[in-house]
Amino acid sequence: MASMMNYGMHSEPNIEVHKFYGGTVLGTCLLALVFQTFLHKYGRWSELIDLPLLVTIYFGVSRRNPVSGLFLGAGIGILQDALSHDNPIGMYGIAKTIVGYLASSVGARIDTEHPLSRFGLIFLFFHFHQAILALTQRVLLNHSAPLFTFHLFVDSLVTAAFGVILFALLDRLRRSS
Amino acid sequence: MIDTFSRHRPLTLLAIVVLAQVLLLAFQIKRENNVRLVRYWAVELMTPLERVGTWTFSHVGGVWGGYVGLRNTRAENERLHGELDKLRLRNNELESRSAEAQRLSTLLNFHDAHPEAQMLAAQVIGASADPTSHTLFINRGERDRLRRNMGVITPDGVVGKIVEVFPSTAQVLLINDKDSGVGALFAVSRTHGVVRGSGDPEPHMEYVINEEKLQPGDVVVTSGEDRIFPKDLLIGTVETTKPGNPFQIISVQPAARLDRLEDVIVLLSQQELTPKKTEQNLEATGMTTGATPAGSDPSQASVPAPKPTGIVTDPNKFKSPARLQPATPAEKTPTANPAVPRQ
Repeated sequence: MASMMNYGMHSEPNIEVHKFYGGTVLGTCLLALVFQTFLHKYGRWSELIDLPLLVTIYFGVSRRNPVSGLFLGAGIGILQDALSHDNPIGMYGIAKTIVGYLASSVGARIDTEHPLSRFGLIFLFFHFHQAILALTQRVLLNHSAPLFTFHLFVDSLVTAAFGVILFALLDRLRRSS
Repeated sequence: MIDTFSRHRPLTLLAIVVLAQVLLLAFQIKRENNVRLVRYWAVELMTPLERVGTWTFSHVGGVWGGYVGLRNTRAENERLHGELDKLRLRNNELESRSAEAQRLSTLLNFHDAHPEAQMLAAQVIGASADPTSHTLFINRGERDRLRRNMGVITPDGVVGKIVEVFPSTAQVLLINDKDSGVGALFAVSRTHGVVRGSGDPEPHMEYVINEEKLQPGDVVVTSGEDRIFPKDLLIGTVETTKPGNPFQIISVQPAARLDRLEDVIVLLSQQELTPKKTEQNLEATGMTTGATPAGSDPSQASVPAPKPTGIVTDPNKFKSPARLQPATPAEKTPTANPAVPRQ
């Protein structure tokens, strides 16, 4: 895994920053939110996959700009909160803000084009995202939230596997340099 | 300070954004989660997209279900049609078997009701090639001890008699054949006559004088004088009557369905058929004693007489309402006392 991520192989200025066609990022994020809410109508299997998280990670590591990454994560997270029934606004917002920032930072330092590295990244970010959520709920909201369960582990594997496919599809939206 | 901020701009922004959201959370907790404006904007932003998504999904689903998903429908339809044809054939076969079982059950009931009578069940295997000749062939013959002039009946009534016997088959002359004649009498008045074939589907009752009062529905039974059929076997009912010279012309509706015979009973002897147990037998043959049930209104005598079947044991039960009164001497008209032809 480490060899695939090529730690330190590229210095920051040599990392390729991917550009997207106009409206692609916004449209994709909105579509991810729509699908996330919409697919709930068709069964609980859709709850296995966190589409907004995947989109946050993808655009974070692709654009490699921490500022845009954190704002994108914040926007997606706040919308996700707002569209839920009883989540206080900011719960997903905080988690995805940090994930967006970190994804952008990681994307600027390691190779994230290989499917296995993408799988590992998504898997780690999923649990990191879950940890922030759990902490936020415990500390700020005084709710009991699990840090790690077997169910979350399965969810993270499914999300990571799906994310590898989704990332390959989203790669087609990149503007050729 | 500004220099530090510029150097760590992303990190600073992260801290600001996260802090802002923490404050927002705290605000919501203080105000009991009341941030309606943000939710309102989010819902207003997403709802149109969800509508589009729903519309797209339903149409894509419709296209899939209506076209793509129907790729194999033609083949499946053909396969199902094939299965349907097979099942129809099978159903016809089972219906045929069921009808056969019912017929045989009726014969068995009849036989059980008359254990003393020697009788043999037979199956109709053919009919006459001549449309004016009302005969049929059965699958029993000499080998089954069948002889000429044995009576042939069904649980419904008299069918005819055996006129020719072959080793394994026999020919039956139906009662509506013009060469047929059966000694008969009316179940109620006991007036004698002869039921003869007339060439029509219905035989005629002959030798009944014009003064005999008859009504459609009057029951005609065997008299036993022909020494072929035992006494009181049901032949049929009077259908129409009209005066003739010198005797009435009486059309009789045969009780047995002579045009739809499949299984018959050959009477091996002329022994009188006495039911084993009256009530039980009457139930078995679909007949009742005609007695008024306890507690029922006697005025209900106006109901039509039950359809007679099998053996007539109580002629009074076939009396029409007008005939329920005791017959006066004037009504006791003399019978023609015909010479019953020996067949």
